[in-house]
Amino acid sequence: MTPDKIPFSQQAISVLWPSFLTAIVATGIFFSAFNPLDLAPFNLDIDISPLAAYSIGFFIFWMLATVSSLGTLYFTVSNCRFLSKQGQ
Amino acid sequence: MATSQENNGEQVLYAAHKKIYPREVSGYFTRLRVLSLVTLLGIYYVTPLLQWEGRQAILFDLPARKFYLFGLTLWPQDFIYLAALLILAGLALFFFTALLGRIWCGYACPQTVWTEAYLWMERKIEGKRTQRMKLDKAPTTAKKIRTKVLKHTVWIAFSLWTGFTFVAYFTPVDELANKLLSLSLGPWETFWILFYSFATYGNAGFMREQVCMYMCPYARFQGAMFDSDTLIVAYQPERGEPRGSRRRGVAPTSVGLGDCIDCSVCVQVCPTGIDIRDGLQYECIACSACIDACDEIMDKMSYPRGLIRYTTENSVLGKAQRVLRPRIMVYAAILLLLCGLLVAHISQRVALDLDVIRDRNTLYRETRDGLIENVYTLKILNMDSQSHRYKLWAEGIDGLKLASDQTEIVVEAGSVYQIVVRLQADELNLEARSVPVSFYLQAEDSNHLSTVEEARFVGPGETR
Repeated sequence: MTPDKIPFSQQAISVLWPSFLTAIVATGIFFSAFNPLDLAPFNLDIDISPLAAYSIGFFIFWMLATVSSLGTLYFTVSNCRFLSKQGQ
Repeated sequence: MATSQENNGEQVLYAAHKKIYPREVSGYFTRLRVLSLVTLLGIYYVTPLLQWEGRQAILFDLPARKFYLFGLTLWPQDFIYLAALLILAGLALFFFTALLGRIWCGYACPQTVWTEAYLWMERKIEGKRTQRMKLDKAPTTAKKIRTKVLKHTVWIAFSLWTGFTFVAYFTPVDELANKLLSLSLGPWETFWILFYSFATYGNAGFMREQVCMYMCPYARFQGAMFDSDTLIVAYQPERGEPRGSRRRGVAPTSVGLGDCIDCSVCVQVCPTGIDIRDGLQYECIACSACIDACDEIMDKMSYPRGLIRYTTENSVLGKAQRVLRPRIMVYAAILLLLCGLLVAHISQRVALDLDVIRDRNTLYRETRDGLIENVYTLKILNMDSQSHRYKLWAEGIDGLKLASDQTEIVVEAGSVYQIVVRLQADELNLEARSVPVSFYLQAEDSNHLSTVEEARFVGPGETR
């Protein structure tokens, strides 16, 4: 059984779920250190509520962690395909 | 099933999902479990409603960046406590896993708690196990649609209540309820209520045991914390085998069988759909449903209870059982030490913070009296629940003087006060170009509320 035979839904969960947990931790640490109201990203003058700032921060972390998990999954799966081709 | 013999563990692990219809069960452990689940659900839904000194007792006030925990107000600076608390929770999980096995999974995990709640609703609406199976297999009729619509409506209502309660930990519950009733919820509050509701609905209504099997990291590594004295749910094969059916009241030995009558009730009640008679499996969440189910059957057969029971590997092997073993004592010692440190640290916590920022534009200047002067901006953070008047002074250089245009320092509860001060010193007293100085801040009405902050005083230097 190689990772590329794992059903899509379970692959999706294995990417989205660990990155979700990581994003919660990252959001907690990041916003403990920085107040979103003190952070004006790229000198943009935007007026958003703290809850919106925390939420957007969370989704940015989730997205970044998702990209990382996706990379791991992609390399694992493609390595397995490559190795199994060589084996033939 | 011949091909499945060739399957390795992974293939079984990632098998296509078959819906599990856990059979209802009653008994001692089930009552214990229901008690635990109802208590935990109660704590979750009631906590945001509790009030303390005129505000919500437990509230993560995100806009104000404060965390209220009854009488205690925590600030982002106190993040260390939250981190310590999480480490403690992790260690506690290690300790209880080594001692009692997967007691967390069976009795306290939110996934279990909400799954059981949703299963309970499902039973009330769709009926017993066989009725539920029949209903799912039956062709679509008006009655089936009505039953399903009713179930999902009740599930969704409960999910929305759960989501609302979740957001009420971050937005005061009365404010949130008012906004909801006047349909003026903010977009993000609405989003998080729906997000959490959807997650609850999906996890407790549909994913259920799959969360434990595919998503839970703990389920995968808990085996590492087990030893031969850890409490497990196990079937006694030497007593049960060879299994086989027989009439009620027949003595096992007279028909050449063990005590297991192969009624498969233990399999039917299992929320993760495994057969406990196959031995310890990582899918087993130690919910003990099979223990109660088997005991009931043993009673009916007039056989002794405990064919499936809580036991330990050593006990099964007939070896001596040890509760206090090095692993347990090490976990307990670390746990107690950290608990003690945390409590001591919180009790010693000073609800006052001082931040000193040197003026960046000028290193120093000279006053009309010929003194060297440095300018600082001080940020005073009163983390206490009442306002205080503070004394401020500085030390570190002989004859050091502190001057400010603001004569009185009064800081309201939970707010930041900014003050610009000037330190003046005679150049002759400066031993170097840059000299350390200390700012002392002390509440006038409480000796406990005091803090010191270091800074540097810069002079010309080269003259000496």
